[in-house]
Amino acid sequence: MRLDPRTWPIAAKVPLAVAVLMMLVGVVLSERVLARLNETQEMHVRDLAQSYLDILSTSITQPILREDTWEVFEAITRAQDLSKGLRITEAIVTNATGHVIAASNPRQHPIGSIVAVPDGGSPGSQPFRFEAGADIANATRVLAYPGRTVGVIHAAFDTSHLAVERREVLMTLIVTNGAVTLILAAAGWLLVTRMMAPIRVLSKHLGAAQEGYATPVPEPRIARSGDEFRHLFGSYNALVRSMHEREDLARKLFDEQRLGSLGRLASALAHEINNPLGGLFNAMATLKTHGHHAAVRNNALGLLERGLVGIRDVVRTTLAVHRQETAGRSISAKDIADLRLLIVAEARRKSVTVTISNAMHGDLPLPSTPIRQALLNLLLNAVAAAPPGSEVKLDAVRDGDVLVLAVADRGGGIPEGTVGILTGNDTSPPLRTGGGLGLWTTRRIVNELHGRIEVSLPSQGGTVIRIAIPIERPIEELPHVA
Amino acid sequence: MGTRALDRRSAMMIAAAGLLLPCSSLARASESIPERGLRFGLTPVFLTSDLELLGRLQAYLQHAIGVPVSLITRRTYQEITALLVSRQLDAAWICGYPFVTHRRDLQLVAVPVWRGRPLYQSYLIVDRDRHAEGLMDLRGDIHAFSDPDSNSGFLVTRAALAEHGLRPDAFFSRTFYTYGHRNVIRAVASGLAASGSVDGYVYGVVGELEPHLTAPTRVLHASELLGFPPIAAPRIPVDAGQLVALTDALLRMGDDPEGRAALHMLRLDGFTSEDASLFDPIAAKAALVAASG
Repeated sequence: MRLDPRTWPIAAKVPLAVAVLMMLVGVVLSERVLARLNETQEMHVRDLAQSYLDILSTSITQPILREDTWEVFEAITRAQDLSKGLRITEAIVTNATGHVIAASNPRQHPIGSIVAVPDGGSPGSQPFRFEAGADIANATRVLAYPGRTVGVIHAAFDTSHLAVERREVLMTLIVTNGAVTLILAAAGWLLVTRMMAPIRVLSKHLGAAQEGYATPVPEPRIARSGDEFRHLFGSYNALVRSMHEREDLARKLFDEQRLGSLGRLASALAHEINNPLGGLFNAMATLKTHGHHAAVRNNALGLLERGLVGIRDVVRTTLAVHRQETAGRSISAKDIADLRLLIVAEARRKSVTVTISNAMHGDLPLPSTPIRQALLNLLLNAVAAAPPGSEVKLDAVRDGDVLVLAVADRGGGIPEGTVGILTGNDTSPPLRTGGGLGLWTTRRIVNELHGRIEVSLPSQGGTVIRIAIPIERPIEELPHVA
Repeated sequence: MGTRALDRRSAMMIAAAGLLLPCSSLARASESIPERGLRFGLTPVFLTSDLELLGRLQAYLQHAIGVPVSLITRRTYQEITALLVSRQLDAAWICGYPFVTHRRDLQLVAVPVWRGRPLYQSYLIVDRDRHAEGLMDLRGDIHAFSDPDSNSGFLVTRAALAEHGLRPDAFFSRTFYTYGHRNVIRAVASGLAASGSVDGYVYGVVGELEPHLTAPTRVLHASELLGFPPIAAPRIPVDAGQLVALTDALLRMGDDPEGRAALHMLRLDGFTSEDASLFDPIAAKAALVAASG
């Protein structure tokens, strides 16, 4: 537990606070009880002392006037016997000048020795000094007859039994308060632990959610909770359901994007096949009409052959794609080269040149399909952004254990928000940005391959998007993108 | 002090001791007003609870004399002496000192016998642990006297000082009267007084019955043997017949069970007839004191 109380768990803080409050209450109560006890004790001792002094002063005033030592001594002895409730440790009677006439302990205060009259020793004054917890209380009575000071009684009383009583009361208070404090602190700990249990459940689920496995709070657990936490759990579960829905939506979007890519591929294929088809039908018509002319026939056959070769190439590419889809678990230079076929139709439509420089040698243990899809998306984006007549370049190079793929165009530069889609860590679907589905898919693919995407805007204009994918690592199942 | 520890019997014994020593006043007087019959004076020695001793003494005297007997007590011996000299009492137990002082007005009736003799001593007592050899070492003390009319509790010490040409108020730093021999013992035992003059008979009885009172003290000096406090009557008797009867009753006290019980409580052997010359040594002391001024 750290020293800063703000970092302590609430299950410790509440019992501690209870204990501190109880101690505070205990201290205040104890102080009041002891103060009251002191008052009572003082009143008790004072009353007894006054009655003792009354008895004594009544019987010694005349003997003091006569300086009758023995009578005074007898009176002191008698009063001591009469005041049983008071433990008189000492009684001294002096005349007006402070000379001892007689004392209960004559050896300590011999006749004629001086005992000072206390401050305020005016006739009839009755100073009384009792200190709580002390073993001795003192009382002084100045005797006046009539109106003239004739003598002083100094009396000391043993109050050690009161001090003992006070200590016992204090001990009882400490023990009782300590026990009550401990019990309440324990009760507070139990209570808070019980009350905090639903919070801990929620906290655990939220922690799991942060790591990507958001699960709803089980129904039996919700049923055991109070109304407030049932509501909270309900809200949390609704949130989890909403998250799952969004993830499902994202997956659907991803799949649809893939289908969209396939559609575009199919469209490109159709286009590639359709382009020579017109020439082929034309050549066939020429053969039907002018087939008997050797020159024309040969020319038409040549056209047919070139057209068919083109179609064959397209079909081969498609087959190649199909082969890779089903069997290829490694990427080769040919996979990169095939991209030209996939992009060429779009490039031609935009009058953009696509240059692919492939420095890869041999196969790399990386899944070809997702990488090609990512590259295709980037190329499609680059072609879309590139001005007519410009060049879009794809560089593929192996740099040690990293496959580095760079797509460069000479467009107006990629917008800031779009860069976020590519390089951010946000895994949420790109719904807020509208377009950019292809880039989002790319980012997701690269993330799943544990690669990095860097976007740079060269000073001469355009955009360079660099993907770096580590090679030497076990190939994981990529069910979402395969 | 010690009175709390005293049981009734002990208290009576102390009272009894005091009864025979009219010079002492152990406690407050109890008083009875006589209508007629014999009035017998006692120094105020009785504790309020010692009515048994008083009762026994009164019962014995009434039985022996055949007339009602009233026991008269007063606070100081001076009062009893005054009543006796003025013939308001038929007889009284007084001290040797007032007896010799009022020798011309009084006659001797009987003298108690203690330990076989009609004699006793005066003691000078001090704290048990005190280093002192004699009276002269007590210079500057706070000294407790019993009664200014007491032989053993005042006159003996006063006369001893007079022999050295000294007076108590000059020799001692301070003196006070306790009006009772037992109180002198208490004063010295408690430290209220550094030394005291006390009756040897009382000191012995108190030492027997209340040893804790005498334990902190010791006898520094014992005087020569002197005449025991006597029973005296006015030289001209109030009622001569009753006085003869009283004298006879006292002298035959040991023959009667009631009288023996009273004597035992007083720790006395009996009463005897003595010549007044028994008190000449006391008279000499009184004369010495009077001469020294």
